[in-house]
Amino acid sequence: MRLLARLAAVLLILLVGGCALSVPSDPDGTLDRVRDDGVLRAGASVSPGWVDVSADGRRPVGREPDLVMRFAESLGAEVEWTLGGEEHLVGLLEKGDLDLVVGGLTDQNAWVDKAALTRPFAEERVAGTTEKHVMMVPMGENAWQSELERWLDENAGGR
Amino acid sequence: MSRRPEPRFGTTGLPQEQQRALRRATRLEVVTLLYMLTCVAAVFAVMGSSQAMKAAWIEDMLALIPPLAFLVAVRRARKAPTVDHPYGYHRTVAIGHLTAAVALLAMGLFLVEDSATGLVRQEHPPIGTVQLFGTTLWSGWLMIAVMVYTGIGPFILGRLKLPLSETLHDKVLYADADMQKADWRTALGTIVGVLGIGIGWWWADSAAALFIAASILRDGWSNLRYASGALMDQRARTYDDAAPHPLTHRVDEALTALPWVTASRSRVRDQGHVFHVEAFVQVDPDEPVILERLEEAVALLDALDWKLHDIVVMPVRALPDAVPAPTDPEGEKA
Repeated sequence: MRLLARLAAVLLILLVGGCALSVPSDPDGTLDRVRDDGVLRAGASVSPGWVDVSADGRRPVGREPDLVMRFAESLGAEVEWTLGGEEHLVGLLEKGDLDLVVGGLTDQNAWVDKAALTRPFAEERVAGTTEKHVMMVPMGENAWQSELERWLDENAGGR
Repeated sequence: MSRRPEPRFGTTGLPQEQQRALRRATRLEVVTLLYMLTCVAAVFAVMGSSQAMKAAWIEDMLALIPPLAFLVAVRRARKAPTVDHPYGYHRTVAIGHLTAAVALLAMGLFLVEDSATGLVRQEHPPIGTVQLFGTTLWSGWLMIAVMVYTGIGPFILGRLKLPLSETLHDKVLYADADMQKADWRTALGTIVGVLGIGIGWWWADSAAALFIAASILRDGWSNLRYASGALMDQRARTYDDAAPHPLTHRVDEALTALPWVTASRSRVRDQGHVFHVEAFVQVDPDEPVILERLEEAVALLDALDWKLHDIVVMPVRALPDAVPAPTDPEGEKA
């Protein structure tokens, strides 16, 4: 049982140490960079009802782009948009050239092993099944993902 | 479970100490089974999309196998020999041991593969948040809490089972204690890994898992080797397979000490819990071989240890060449 006590001690030290180092954090520092540079690099793929394109064809508009812009605002940042297809955007996300992707994505989408999905921020019943809408962020940028999920909990108007 | 048959292995009566140990071990294994089921449920509830937690979940499922193997083996081994099974049912223990060893090895292999690919592909494990009672919380904390729960049980249970496996000479129980050791170590590794991810070390989880997987793999491999060895009638070994069992030597010693015996060489194999002994005794040419003497020799061995169970003493003119002489008679310390 002495070993158990030692184990508990090690854990406690780790926990206290963990808190001091701010948990969770980003291996690639996304959250800090967005705050410091004031730029959120977002990708958008058109999906009627969730992501549409402005009349001049240059800017995404609609429910999800609005959320992204308000989230950026909360961090004191501007959104730099990239419009494109899902595959292209996921590629940029993997390379670290984008911080966030929207496009009417649900938690059933096929990119789970290339991008991290946020917790669902909206649910919609479509043809008898419930579609849970999510955004995509880079894998393992956990402070960034947690910040976004926290914000969505409070601002996306109920899940 | 309400009727309690007297604990025994086949027709072998058990000393008080072994009877108590067997009851206790059976109780512990039932507790383990129930506890691991709650772990499987708890991990499933919080695993989300985390690879590390998914691995922990599969391990918890594998950890159900050894206790099941023990309970089945002990039940079967209780049966007396029948016409079709003249040696009794002791070998079910060997099958249980093999099953548990394969489960342990599978867990090690799975863990090595899982964590090595994570490192090679440089996967950054995403751990987001959960909503719990209206507040948003980093899932890592919840995972750590669950891992503390799934770790504590095996840590205690494994330690309780180890001495019982020696008392009962039960290798399924021993392999299960190994499995529990693997279990709490993995839980600890996951905690370290999740904390590592928390402070931004994406590789921490896979690295911790890989480190632990190596020792699990080694345990699984040695259990598998000796479980198959026992099924091949390898010379009996100690409960932890660390060394040849000293009883083989003691059998020959006891027989050679008889006034009418000049030398003895025996084959002792582990039937599971109990040993099967074939002893060849070279008889002094001046002494008559009479039935009473042979019966006395069998009774002598029977009293030596409860594990010596199925005993055959064969008087011979010369020790058979077919049975090799032990090369390390004095080194057989448990």
